[in-house]
Amino acid sequence: MTNVKFLNPFVDAANEVLLAEAEVSAKRGALSLHKSAFTSNDITVLLSLVGQVQGVVLYGMSIPTGLELVSRIMGQQFAEFDNLAQSGIAELGNVITGRATIKLSQAGYSANISPPTLIQGAGVQISTLDFSRIVVPLVTDIGDITIHLALRESHHSQDDGITSVLPGIA
Amino acid sequence: MKVQILNPFIQAAYDVLKAEANCVTQRGDLSLDKAAYITNDVTVILNLVGQVEGMVFYGLAQETAIFLASAILGEKFDELNPLAQSGIAELGNVITGRASVMLSADNIHCNISPPALLLGKGAVISTLDVPRIVVPLISPQGQIIIHLALRHNEKPSYKTNQIPIPTAPSF
Repeated sequence: MTNVKFLNPFVDAANEVLLAEAEVSAKRGALSLHKSAFTSNDITVLLSLVGQVQGVVLYGMSIPTGLELVSRIMGQQFAEFDNLAQSGIAELGNVITGRATIKLSQAGYSANISPPTLIQGAGVQISTLDFSRIVVPLVTDIGDITIHLALRESHHSQDDGITSVLPGIA
Repeated sequence: MKVQILNPFIQAAYDVLKAEANCVTQRGDLSLDKAAYITNDVTVILNLVGQVEGMVFYGLAQETAIFLASAILGEKFDELNPLAQSGIAELGNVITGRASVMLSADNIHCNISPPALLLGKGAVISTLDVPRIVVPLISPQGQIIIHLALRHNEKPSYKTNQIPIPTAPSF
């Protein structure tokens, strides 16, 4: 079950990063909890957390919102969502998540994050399986950026990598 | 990316598919792909974090996924319902977990994330600057295609709480 205490670090980090990098001020929309798969928006940035908190974080937005964001971050106008723009949006997800994990670690939950992955194409279903998702829309004047958190506390220590022995398969 | 990281995944996938689904696969030709991947019906996505980091995904067709879920769970599925989806994601989890144990035997330590499942053809997955190694595993029931976008993480592994938050005057 996703824990709500993991939510605020992400919302705060997203607000801070959006304001500093893109001069976009975001308002938090209504929270919701989803158990089913979600149907993607145009652009989805996917990152995983591994550690005392584990799971998947997704950032969804439309192409116009993505273009406007990268245009502001990089200080040049983007007309299409090319490789550089993709890289900029993925990096934005990376920075927000990185900042959120630092805040989480200060609250006693340390975790490492994976490199970001970008999924494009509206209408595919992304399922986080038995992890329910907390969904927070961030409403800005350039469009909504939706954060999906499918996280849970991990009870086994994953500090030093896997040390278990490989069992034979019969 | 070194072959040292590649082989554990192929070996693990072969072992697990054979043991869990009684599905004997043959390795197809390797290729290296720098472009984005256009998804097939079902994609299982996992991330690795540690001395090797990046993304692993497994792409398969709907029929192959239904066959594998049926074989693993010992019950006939007609569609990829949530239980079957969970079975397929778990398959990705088991393969990747086994591969990461093999990697750690080679003294490459990493942790894996929980799986996420992407359903629907035609989405574009970009691993950005990390090139993908593509290995098809061919079985009579269809192909299971392994995509590895991994890189060695040369940085010392800091815990997040050891990284100071830089002060930004605008915050």
